Amino acid sequence: MSGPRAVAITGIGMVTPLGNDVESTWNAILSGESGVREIAGFDASGFPTRIAAEVKGLRAEEVIEDRKSLKYATPFSLFALAAAEEAVRDAGVRPTAATAERWGLVSGSGMMTMEFDFLQRFQREFAADGEIDLARLGAEGERFISSSEFARHRAVAGQALLHQRYGIRGYSANLHTACASGGQALGMAMRVVRSGQADYVLAGGYDTMINPIGLAGFCLLGAVSTDNDRPNSASRPFDRTRNGFVLGEGAGFMVLEEWRQARDRGAKIYAELAGEGNSLSSYRITDSPPSGDGPIQAIRGGLEDASETADAVDYVNAHGTSTPMNDLSETNAIKEVFGDHAYEMAVSSTKSQMGHLIAAAGAVEGILCALAIERSTAPMTANLRTPDPECDLDYVSDGCRSMQIDTAMSNSFGFGGSNSCLVFRSPGRVDSRER
Amino acid sequence: MRDGVVITGYGCLTASGADVSSTWEAVLAGESGIREASTWDSSGWPYRLAGEIKDYKPRELVADRKLLKFITRQDVIGLNAMTQAVDHSGIIEHRDGLADPTAFNDRTGVFVGSPATKYRYQHDYLGPLAVAAGDLREFGVRAMDDVHPMWLLRTLPNNVLAYVGIRYGFKGANANITAHGISGSQAVAEACRYLRDGAIDWAIVVGYDSASELEALPYYASVGLLSSRGLRPFDRSRDGTVLAEGAGALVLEKREAAELRDAKIYGEVLGSSVVAEAGGILSVREDGDGVARAVRLALADSGLRPDQIGMISAHANGGRDSDAAEARAFSETFGASAIPVTAFKWSLGHTIAASGAIESILTLLCLANRRVPGVPTLEELAPECGGAMVSASEQAPRSPVGIVVSRAFAGLNSCIVLSSNA
Repeated sequence: MSGPRAVAITGIGMVTPLGNDVESTWNAILSGESGVREIAGFDASGFPTRIAAEVKGLRAEEVIEDRKSLKYATPFSLFALAAAEEAVRDAGVRPTAATAERWGLVSGSGMMTMEFDFLQRFQREFAADGEIDLARLGAEGERFISSSEFARHRAVAGQALLHQRYGIRGYSANLHTACASGGQALGMAMRVVRSGQADYVLAGGYDTMINPIGLAGFCLLGAVSTDNDRPNSASRPFDRTRNGFVLGEGAGFMVLEEWRQARDRGAKIYAELAGEGNSLSSYRITDSPPSGDGPIQAIRGGLEDASETADAVDYVNAHGTSTPMNDLSETNAIKEVFGDHAYEMAVSSTKSQMGHLIAAAGAVEGILCALAIERSTAPMTANLRTPDPECDLDYVSDGCRSMQIDTAMSNSFGFGGSNSCLVFRSPGRVDSRER
Repeated sequence: MRDGVVITGYGCLTASGADVSSTWEAVLAGESGIREASTWDSSGWPYRLAGEIKDYKPRELVADRKLLKFITRQDVIGLNAMTQAVDHSGIIEHRDGLADPTAFNDRTGVFVGSPATKYRYQHDYLGPLAVAAGDLREFGVRAMDDVHPMWLLRTLPNNVLAYVGIRYGFKGANANITAHGISGSQAVAEACRYLRDGAIDWAIVVGYDSASELEALPYYASVGLLSSRGLRPFDRSRDGTVLAEGAGALVLEKREAAELRDAKIYGEVLGSSVVAEAGGILSVREDGDGVARAVRLALADSGLRPDQIGMISAHANGGRDSDAAEARAFSETFGASAIPVTAFKWSLGHTIAASGAIESILTLLCLANRRVPGVPTLEELAPECGGAMVSASEQAPRSPVGIVVSRAFAGLNSCIVLSSNA
């Protein structure tokens, strides 16, 4: 075969605030549900923001039958295990002794690995008055922490669980570029398959920051919506009255596979992961500039990497966080790259229904692009009722739209300025090219 | 043959030295930067050894004083090493001579090995927790009043990546790797991937960490990983590692780009690998499977045979299991053609996410100077480590090509293959 190896998406799995698997999430998207509620996981009544999009009713023991692994799983590792399991089952292939070294794992994970309960116990034990008693910590610290707690606090805790559970022995990467993590992980995973470093990669993202410390951090910044009395419409990307994002949580994983091998084994192929654009805004920690500089390079890079023209894009799953600056900057970036075509394609933000899954967002939204292609449906932007004259694209605000989608794009832009743009194509286009 | 990736600049800040040459001189002289931890009062602590940065003065380490309000100690260390490397490479002078720097900025990427989060970040919430005494509503109210509004931004695991970009205006491909002890090496490897893929022409690579933070010492000790006596790799009496602060940074370029700007080329990254042992978070396979496979894959990626390797920079963290497994992997891979092995953590301590970047730079210096420093802590080579041709006295590399081995929690192993231009 000439040229780089094409990369097939052959399995998908997700845990989101809208549902604990792919079908329930997709059905909730179609029916216009919101995953945002008053926070149920802890008493958030002292915070200015008391709403979030939490995962609902995921039972640990249904995800991992093996009790020993459970000791090592924080809530977001559990999301990862559940989504990965769905993806691997869906793909109908898993590592064997013969293939384990040809399997890779590339994931984007969250920044909060220390549990709030642990911090509370630490405070009672070593900082009764708020100041750390150093002599006591030196003398007792070793006995205070358990080995499973130590393991859970590592940034590679989820990575270790996934490697062990599936026996994946090849390439491995764990990334964190805030809200771009999941998108960048899928992009890197695509390159790992393309280069021949692996034939299969389990790729995705997982996160939660819905805990007292994470919520405090975002509230202190003033980045999250305080529409506590109307949670369902708090996330309203591209709406003129948007006032911040809504925290979500969850995980999305895909099985990526070398195209011909996937075809040869008769795998179901949702879509091709065809290109990655990856850029840095180098502007401010929390924003891209209004001009869209930074995201523009990522979108152009994605198109170029996929050898695709701007006119070919039918659907864009926008980063669309519902913050005043992101949605303006992203709209301007799309206009700059696509010109007149910007008004001819569908652009929507699924964060309007499921909130912002932070490090998992890019992975879940990438899967939604694959589904949009497979099911010929563009998800909607919910809650867009008051048009913003500066955000004037076709945001699919009147419900999910049936339409043929051959090429879809997913944007993810992170705190810190990292940007990811992924390009997805319908399988038929690859098969006709490969023939 | 694909386009080569060359090294045109480097910088570091370690417990043993404030830059590359002082760190290198300390290693050659057999000096260690490991001391009793002194950034807090560690008197009476059973495990108190640490490789801390000496004379840490943030205002001297980072030029932009306003920035210090928005970053933490480990970010300062990372940005200092980064600035040294960028200055060393001369790429900013090159860019500033261009009529239009847009393409240069868009095609310069940033790849970082990051320690991710730290226990110490959460200490800002201890006051509100103490006042709230278990009442979460009260905690929320107090946290809003008492904690700095920029708390979340100060603690971002990708701060160094973000501020490298903001400082210089680089806008190319980027990654922030949070993979414990292989993060620094993997940042090198991923930079090479995006350079080879043609997504960028230049890359800044940084690995940084402040692994020896307050809570880390008792917690690492609790799982049996720390030494209270000193880091003695491959020695019969080795009993654990010593955590440390530090950062290393490299400027990588496509050979064509470097030659076009007449850059001084110090060396080349020939290949890399990452593999997982898949045995769990703290498990280390006795047979050295991960190291052996990482070395074989990196050699294959470089198109080299084992007998073409001139020296090995071992991970050598002083752990009983890890060092023995690593030595086994070396004898399995290189057989009778024993390759000189050295290590650096006995001097610098274990800088975790920074170690692969720092050790890549020091390996380049070994090759350039044709000196493989001795490991002076070695008194008696452990029988189970016999596969590592390590010595208390200096050796000579057998060729201008070296490998750098790094290992991490989650059973991760990586190998970088480098050559010197000298």
